[in-house]
Amino acid sequence: MRWILFRRRLADWIALVFAGLATLLGLIFLAWILWTTLSNGVAALKPSLFTEMTPPPGADGGLLNAFYGSAVMIALALVIGTPIGLAAGTYLAEHGRHTRLAAAVRFVNDILLSAPSIVLGLFIYELVVAPSEHFSGYAGALALAMILIPVVVRTSDEALRLVPDRMREAAFALGLPRWKVTAQILFKAGMSGIVTGLLLGLARISGETAPLLFTALNNQFWSADLNAPLANVPVVIFQYALSPYDAWHSLAWAGALILTLFVLALNLIVRFAVRGRQSR
Amino acid sequence: MNDTMTTIDVPAAGRVHGDDPPKIAVRNLDFYYGKTHALKNVTLDVPANAVTAIIGPSGCGKSTLLRTLNRIYSLYPEQRATGEIRIDGENILDRGTDLGDLRRRVGMVFQKPTPFASSIRANVGFALTHYERLSKSETADRIEDALRQAALWDEVKDKLNDSALSLSGGQQQRLCIARTIAVKPEILLLDEPTSALDPISTAKIEELVHELQNRFTIVIVTHNMQQAARVSQKTAFFHLGELIEFDETTRIFTNPSVDRTQDYITGRYG
Repeated sequence: MRWILFRRRLADWIALVFAGLATLLGLIFLAWILWTTLSNGVAALKPSLFTEMTPPPGADGGLLNAFYGSAVMIALALVIGTPIGLAAGTYLAEHGRHTRLAAAVRFVNDILLSAPSIVLGLFIYELVVAPSEHFSGYAGALALAMILIPVVVRTSDEALRLVPDRMREAAFALGLPRWKVTAQILFKAGMSGIVTGLLLGLARISGETAPLLFTALNNQFWSADLNAPLANVPVVIFQYALSPYDAWHSLAWAGALILTLFVLALNLIVRFAVRGRQSR
Repeated sequence: MNDTMTTIDVPAAGRVHGDDPPKIAVRNLDFYYGKTHALKNVTLDVPANAVTAIIGPSGCGKSTLLRTLNRIYSLYPEQRATGEIRIDGENILDRGTDLGDLRRRVGMVFQKPTPFASSIRANVGFALTHYERLSKSETADRIEDALRQAALWDEVKDKLNDSALSLSGGQQQRLCIARTIAVKPEILLLDEPTSALDPISTAKIEELVHELQNRFTIVIVTHNMQQAARVSQKTAFFHLGELIEFDETTRIFTNPSVDRTQDYITGRYG
């Protein structure tokens, strides 16, 4: 009897130690990455980041054109991706709920969700960049939208399917048409899930580099023209980090830090603002 | 003509007011959840402007019957009904039935309160403004009217813009009733409307049913036999998907003609 108890306690203890070590290992690397980004990035922070353009080798400068380009492309990707993703998610969860087509689309969407972003970049390259014979901000925004859409489809589908059937039945029992039930009752009930999905999708595309390499490329100068190559933070980080110049390195670190803080802020908003409202 | 034969093999079981046409006439209704046969050849007449209670043990098909009367089951493709359900003579199981219009005429209140995630005012006004083009003041009047009918007005009149989710369970259920009667239905289906509520809220809802019975045809499903006895004029007893007996409520509870009914109401099973 005692032996059994001892053995169970020992097994419990060993499992606890291993689980604890595994957690610790993960956390150490996370902390290390954050610390490196933070210490190098903070040292490189200066006001001119937000007022000057990306410099040529050997000169001082900032990241203004890259911030602008990223912001515009992300905004455009949201404008393109949100309605499409939301509409498709609504179809999957509501109109097509019991159909085989919806099951098939959901499966394909899941594949798209885990498709390497570089493949999506290549796709837009073939579709837009090659025929138009130049890189452009539009192509970059499209590539980001391609990454955003499956995320929004998945999260809005799930948010709507989490709305209990009795809510749906209560709305239909009033004799309301499906579009009204969906737009005015179910969206409201699933709002925090839908917004969470959008913010997470936004966080995801903010850091994407690979699809922009083929599409928006980069631009060392100020350009607000979306029909031309457009500077953006991830590609600037990529290029500057690989360069041999110290000034470029420090700009890359600053860009990395700001990008990290932005994504962190989005996640915190999701965590506290949106989910907090849900639980109230 | 009155209090006559009331067993299942008589067509139109339970017709008491021989000359009044029934509000709802169910004929040979069979219902299937996929392959499960949940209602078996049910035939009954629901009288107008009265309360008809449906009782029976869990899984006997009483909620299922209710869910056929407004075709809410049609949301689920694997569920189907055969036979006829005539409301004012019109078979609502016909393919061409306008479900929106049917559900406006046949309102339903569910077991658990289901307020929408918006204000009290919006909950009531929502369907109302969908059906009728009303001015602001007309809408406000109709909302007040519905809340008064549901005996909720005095409790919420100062906080119509508050979230409906802030109300208590009993208030939420009365809000759902207000929301349903706001569009002026003819029939009110109540699916165990008090089973999630405390005794005081239950009493309020029962009182409400009593007050509403002259204006609506009410069909109430309940687990609680005292409740059926208190609120209804007619009672149908279901068991294993079959209508066992349908008669005046007083007769069902004092002198049922089928042994299985007797066994159930005396608590021998169920």
